[in-house]
Amino acid sequence: MSNVPKEAIEVIAQSIGITNLSPDVAIALAPDVEYRVREIMQEAIKCMRHSRRTVLTADDVDSALNLRNMEPIYGFTSRDALRFKRAAGHKDLFYIDDKDVEFKEVMESPLSKAPIDTSVTSHWLAIEGIQPAIPENASVEAPSDGKKAEYKDDGTSVDVKLPVKHVLSRELQLYFDKIAEITMNRSFSVVFKQALLSLATDSGVHPLVPYFTYFIADEVARNLNNFPVLFALMRVARSLLQNEHIHIEPYLHQLMPSIITCLVAKRLGNKFTDNHWELRNFAAKLVASICKRFGHVYHNLQPRVTRTLLHAFLDPTKTFPQHYGAIQGLAALGPSVVRLLILPNLEAYLQLLEPEMALEKQKNEIKRHEARCVYGALLRAAGLCMYDRLKMFPSLLAPPTRPIWKSNGKVATTNKRKASTDNLMQQPPAKKIATESAMGMMPINSMQADVQGAASSFSNTVGGSNIGVSSMTRPLSNDNMLGREVGGRVSKTSTVLAQAWKEDTDAGNLLASLFELFGESMLSFTPNLSFHSSFD
Amino acid sequence: MQAVNSFVAAYLKKKGFKEAEQLLEDLHSKDSAAPIDFHNDPDLAKFIHHFSQSEDEVARYQDGYSKLRSWTYSSLDLYKHELLRVLYPVFIHSFMDLVAKGHLQEARTFFNAFHEDHQLMHSRDLQKLEGVLSQSHLEEMEFARSLRQNKVNVKICQYSYDLLLQYLHKTQSSAMLGVINEHINFQATSGQPGSISDDIEVVTLIGSCQDAANQINQKEIHWGLLEDSLEERSEKEGGLLSDSEKTEGENKEGDAEESKKRSAEGGKQGSSTKKLKKDKAVNATAKSTRLEAKTTSSAPRVKPELTLPIMSTEVEQSILEDLRNRVQLSSIALPSVSFYTFLDTHNGLNCSSISHDGSLVAGGFSDSSLKVWDTAKLGQQTGGATLQGENDSTSSEHVVRPNGVKRSYTLFQGHSGPVYSATFSPLGDFILSSSADTTIRLWSTKLNANLVCYKGHNYPVWDVQFSPVGHYFASASHDRTARIWAMDRIQPLRVMAGHLSDVDCVQWHANCNYIATGSSDRTVRLWDVQSGECVRIFIGHRSMILSLAMSPDGRYMASGDEDGTIMTWDLSSGRCVTPLMGHTSCVWTLAFSCEGTLLASGSADCTVKLWDVTTSTKAPRNEEKSGNPNRLRSLKTLPTKSTPVYSLQFSRRNLLFAAGVLSKKV
Repeated sequence: MSNVPKEAIEVIAQSIGITNLSPDVAIALAPDVEYRVREIMQEAIKCMRHSRRTVLTADDVDSALNLRNMEPIYGFTSRDALRFKRAAGHKDLFYIDDKDVEFKEVMESPLSKAPIDTSVTSHWLAIEGIQPAIPENASVEAPSDGKKAEYKDDGTSVDVKLPVKHVLSRELQLYFDKIAEITMNRSFSVVFKQALLSLATDSGVHPLVPYFTYFIADEVARNLNNFPVLFALMRVARSLLQNEHIHIEPYLHQLMPSIITCLVAKRLGNKFTDNHWELRNFAAKLVASICKRFGHVYHNLQPRVTRTLLHAFLDPTKTFPQHYGAIQGLAALGPSVVRLLILPNLEAYLQLLEPEMALEKQKNEIKRHEARCVYGALLRAAGLCMYDRLKMFPSLLAPPTRPIWKSNGKVATTNKRKASTDNLMQQPPAKKIATESAMGMMPINSMQADVQGAASSFSNTVGGSNIGVSSMTRPLSNDNMLGREVGGRVSKTSTVLAQAWKEDTDAGNLLASLFELFGESMLSFTPNLSFHSSFD
Repeated sequence: MQAVNSFVAAYLKKKGFKEAEQLLEDLHSKDSAAPIDFHNDPDLAKFIHHFSQSEDEVARYQDGYSKLRSWTYSSLDLYKHELLRVLYPVFIHSFMDLVAKGHLQEARTFFNAFHEDHQLMHSRDLQKLEGVLSQSHLEEMEFARSLRQNKVNVKICQYSYDLLLQYLHKTQSSAMLGVINEHINFQATSGQPGSISDDIEVVTLIGSCQDAANQINQKEIHWGLLEDSLEERSEKEGGLLSDSEKTEGENKEGDAEESKKRSAEGGKQGSSTKKLKKDKAVNATAKSTRLEAKTTSSAPRVKPELTLPIMSTEVEQSILEDLRNRVQLSSIALPSVSFYTFLDTHNGLNCSSISHDGSLVAGGFSDSSLKVWDTAKLGQQTGGATLQGENDSTSSEHVVRPNGVKRSYTLFQGHSGPVYSATFSPLGDFILSSSADTTIRLWSTKLNANLVCYKGHNYPVWDVQFSPVGHYFASASHDRTARIWAMDRIQPLRVMAGHLSDVDCVQWHANCNYIATGSSDRTVRLWDVQSGECVRIFIGHRSMILSLAMSPDGRYMASGDEDGTIMTWDLSSGRCVTPLMGHTSCVWTLAFSCEGTLLASGSADCTVKLWDVTTSTKAPRNEEKSGNPNRLRSLKTLPTKSTPVYSLQFSRRNLLFAAGVLSKKV
């Protein structure tokens, strides 16, 4: 009933040694205790007000007790607010968190610094009613706040001058509303394309930039399951970034989270048909372009982005689409990022990935598809990285690779299909491949033997399992072992991958180990144009 | 008829309603002079008789109130708000009746069931009443006691009154009837229902009877300025000068002679002529405005009731100089504000004060110290060790720190409790400080020493203020009194008692004949210094009053409260001119500009607001009709950087000084 229940009185009585307090006494005491507490608080609030404060402190309560000629309560004079903790398992039982302090620690701790002495500074708060813009004065508030407060009082127009920084012209407001409306509802229309073009080229859009960035951030957060809107928003973001006339840097912090969201969010869109892979690719490109353009201005921009993506990539609890986004994002940042961050983790990751791609291990069609997409992304990332390396050491492109390719090319042609990287993931199950030819002609430098084994296993796997490139899994190589010790090889490849970031690492080694992991599809990234002719 | 009356009397006696019984007797002795006498209604008496036998009181209160409430809410829109006004007194008295009869649990349920209706208007009263949990509390708490002892006046129109009576007849709810009968005094007026703002008592149920307040407010007060004040003299002089300017070419020397004589006898010739030249430039620009100002400030003159201290001629000179250089402020010419920010106070600063010329800033701390900064030396704290060495060695406690670091301020130690208030004498040569140790101390800024310790209050002294002429000062204390002191007496000259709760702030009237006090009982009172009598009660605030300011023309007063409301009052009528809404937290300080056109307010919401007082006082009626009076009055809001504003002071030249503590955002 009242705020002080009789149980509280009983507890207090027990705590001071009165065990046999009759319930009648407790019931009679409870209201009086509450009244006294209120009385003390009333006085304490007076003391607080006269100390020109709006927060009640333990000192105020002490002063109030003092006013009533009572002993102050000792032990609560800390300046910090007392922290109440909820007792575990009870809904509304709180206690003051009172930490044990080791006496020795207190003794040994160095003397704390003396507090800085009070001082007074002076500045002009206003000069003839105008506030000068100096650091001592509060910055001019955002116009929206002031307006809201003014309108709250009543609906009549306001003649008080507000600290408005810039006022949007009516035309701009209309423009903004129109673009927002098209983005939200008609992103498939031709008008939207024109709107994007206008955003990317018009020089007069600048005043709207904060509104657009806010709009994007807001709507992305709200429409995570609405794929068309998300994509449209990303396009708007790209257009804004493309516009050379606007100064978007100050708003990047608002824009980046939205784009990263579209890159590594768990779910984008709510339908299976939503091609969120495409959205992720798009966002990856956006992130990369932002990092490229503003990386030198904001030194921590790229590190922060890569950290976020790497977290997503290395977290096994995240879903495949998230991994996909992270890999795409990292890959888009350039080969060196891939070399630094993806390659060292490639080996381990593939071990996780492979069972998910195998038909017999992962029954869920969608999951398998996702895993394959991730695989494709990894392949592309690693391949591009390798391509970059190989370009620097053209001599390494040993002629020996040529015959392999040739043979593969031949295989490809015989199977009447294009082995282009783009449709790698969609490759239909491969037919039987002449293993001998591939095996026989894999003499790549130091890793020769291993690679040979890998290649052979690859070929045989493909031949045996008949499920396509995605099933080029090393574990399966046991089926057709050439007496290779798997464990040893694994460690070897890992070290090569881990060292790949070192400049002096042999690009050939890289190719070899990547080849080992990905098989022949890696070879499509070798930079010899002549190979491509074999596809055509 | 007689039978009915005896019935009623018996009933009242049985229930212990002494007040009502008394009233009934009065009524009969006066031969039913009341506008509507429902005691003489036979039906009603029957109900009373009937229900006096019923024992189930608790249920009747609960039931009766909830029925009355739902009836009120469903009544006609036009009369609803009037009837709603009746609900609140019925509610609190029903609650207290239940408590008084010992039904504590039931009282509690009753309170919890219905208190939300009144939360908006009366939250603070409800908070107090919530704590009333036994009969003895009713006796002890002055608020409850005064409520029980007095009747509430409710002004409602005739029709609402009839409606209410009809309802009470019909439902036969005797409990409600009893409460209404006992505690509410209806003043039925013919005509249309009034608007809610007309009735102050709706918002503040004060203990003291409204009649008494009205009676007090009938007294005459002389709010005019003092005869022969410096301002007056300077105005005359200004007029002369402007006149003389026309004939300037002819007798320049004679003019100088003349004005010098007028301005102050015995000034040095050379300086005065120099000054004169400077003045002329100022005068040329300010001439027209000053003439206007003169016409507006044609306040009546009164004789001082106190013997005033005599000002030395040099001081007079310098004040006159200031007055001549005064910037004219108005709604279009806003003042410059110089802000003193206290840093690293570690939550210990309780009050601050700025001298009239802004050269000294004092802070009172909760560690019992009073610190005074010379603002001229603010910039040179680090480098000026040698410069301040002198200053420091003479400081009251004669301690130079071992490491040689000199303080940037003068430390005054002597109090033994938190310092709650400090005030500079008009000339800046003395400081008074009041403390929780119940004393007031007088310090000299020249000697850097404590001169006198004034003991008289029995409880912490919340506020102390020098009179506008110096020498006298007033103090306000937790012991519910305000006292008037003179610097040369250690005993108070007058004790003003009458407030029902702490006196929280005090302010002198411009003519030194009155002081105003603001209190936790939510009233402001005006006291005659000579007689010590209360001459005005201003009712209208809804929470504790924290700050007061008097307009320089002596006609108006402003008061700020805990909720952020500022009210301006007309002293002669005792009415609220206009409430100024805008602050969202405690109004710590108020200051009128020197010619009384602007009011500055400083608040815990980290803003200084400037209000136009001329529009609000000149044409309050028109503006209220136009709908948004506050809009026009609030001229400017100056936000600080998370610095609550503790004190404001207009210098004689109309520069506004403000002080506050930089508080970290939580």
